[in-house]
Amino acid sequence: LALALLGGVLAYSATAGDRLPQVVAGVGALGWTIAALALAGRWPSLLPWGLVGVGAGYTVFLGLRSGSVDARAPVVAAALFAAAELAFWSVEPREGPSERAVLVRRLALVAGGALGTALVGALLLVLVAGASGGLALEAIGVLAAVLTLAIVAVLAARARDSTST
Amino acid sequence: MTRAASAKLGAYAGLAALGLLAALATRRPELVAVAAPFALAAAVGLLALRRPDIAVEVTLERERALEGEEVEVRVRLEARVGAERVEVLLELPRELTVRDGDNPRVLHLADGERRELPFRLDCGRWGAFRVGRVCLRTHDALGLFRHETTVDRRLPLKVYPTEEAVRNLLRPLETQVFAGNHVARQKGEGIEFADLRPFVPGDRVRHVNWRASARRGELWVNEHHAERNADVVIFLDSFAEARRGGGSTLDPALRAAASLAARYLRQKDRVGFVTFGGMLNWLLPSTGAGQLYRIVDAMLDTQIILNYAWKDIDVIPRRTLPPQALVLALTPLLDDRAANALLDLRGRGFDLVVIEVSPLPFVQPPRGDVQELGHRLWRLRRDAVRGRFERAGVAVAIWGDESSLAAALEEVSAYRRHARLVRV
Repeated sequence: LALALLGGVLAYSATAGDRLPQVVAGVGALGWTIAALALAGRWPSLLPWGLVGVGAGYTVFLGLRSGSVDARAPVVAAALFAAAELAFWSVEPREGPSERAVLVRRLALVAGGALGTALVGALLLVLVAGASGGLALEAIGVLAAVLTLAIVAVLAARARDSTST
Repeated sequence: MTRAASAKLGAYAGLAALGLLAALATRRPELVAVAAPFALAAAVGLLALRRPDIAVEVTLERERALEGEEVEVRVRLEARVGAERVEVLLELPRELTVRDGDNPRVLHLADGERRELPFRLDCGRWGAFRVGRVCLRTHDALGLFRHETTVDRRLPLKVYPTEEAVRNLLRPLETQVFAGNHVARQKGEGIEFADLRPFVPGDRVRHVNWRASARRGELWVNEHHAERNADVVIFLDSFAEARRGGGSTLDPALRAAASLAARYLRQKDRVGFVTFGGMLNWLLPSTGAGQLYRIVDAMLDTQIILNYAWKDIDVIPRRTLPPQALVLALTPLLDDRAANALLDLRGRGFDLVVIEVSPLPFVQPPRGDVQELGHRLWRLRRDAVRGRFERAGVAVAIWGDESSLAAALEEVSAYRRHARLVRV
């Protein structure tokens, strides 16, 4: 299912644009192949590179696209997030059979995450469409991105420091 | 409790970073929409991180079981701080397997929730085990962190060997002084007729043989054989074993030892037990049900320990081998030290019987000429060892796949009926 979702993103990136679709498809296909290898070989460290590859294909598509915002970006984001969740689920170390309630909760979480992703993405795009642009807004955007990454990095470092036995 | 971050956390952080950087570089807001969920997931996972607190209790249905029986182990979990997914693994020795259900199991534990997991264990092989080490691994909702801990709530579980069918026991050549079920050679109070003799003052009137007295014109009385008990020592050779798959020569030997001990004790004999091998273990001969439990418990500790030390019979305490005891040796005849020790016992005048637990069913069939030749030589060597016992007047019965213990004992009985006792 994860590969199907990634394939969907790849197909959309390759077919939606009219400029250099071979390049978009090539980059995306490389990512899809890496993801497929990671899933087949159960290598979790390789999996992000597959996602990056498919995402890079979409980025190339966006880069070649004219100025308008891609209205399907929230769907692409939801598909990528769901694919990532399912793919990491697949490469997790084998555990015993889960109870039905555990499976249902986990599937609901993936579905809810994908839906939330689509909503957040749509909201972001609506906000961007409403904004008039300018240097100040761009600076706020850069600052927000850096802050987001910094918070994630700090929290991750703190979590690692407090790892105890 | 050990905490570890999964590969997913790093991956999501990296994907978010790359996405946001790409958005900045290409000035495309769509990439922010793609990257933001990964950043959000990582941040939410980190903020919601907490250490699960799960209490574990283990109860065992019963402490003793027979080979092949089922025993239920219940693992009770009480989550003061729960977790989205909890993997519960009950650590088990190889000999015990979960019959119904899975091990490990994955479940959801909410805060304050209690769960009880039953594990039905199949006791596949005899032994003394300790059951109740539980490994817990918890995962948060987003699968970014896992916590692991091991809780030791081990309880003893003794799995006794099943009984072998034994029809007739071997009769010892000599009996002891206490009352029992064996007809002694000595004359005394009993049922079995022994002889006639003239009446002497003090003889009971009910012992007078009236027919003989009438014929001879004076009083003659019947004499009887006394009924006495015997001393039996079960000698288990634990120097070496032949093992294939899940079974070994030690398993039938222990089953036979347990069955013989139970049967001899039931007929009021004193039974002792000696494990002679890498680990020396002994129990002084005694009677009663308590002795049976002692013997079987001692058997459960029996294991084959590789040992190159030369051991002779002198290492066994003298009181363990009472004079005139019947020594029943259960051995695969794989180690010369055991064979020599048994011959030494025979040389000291013990009534010895060797039940050879055949290692042949546990040996892989030879392939090729060289293996065939080696196999034949090995079998010839075993025949030679057997011949040494037979020359010393010791009955050797081979107990293998194709014969039962009862048949092996019957073979020994027949040998002892016809063979002469020789001094070596």
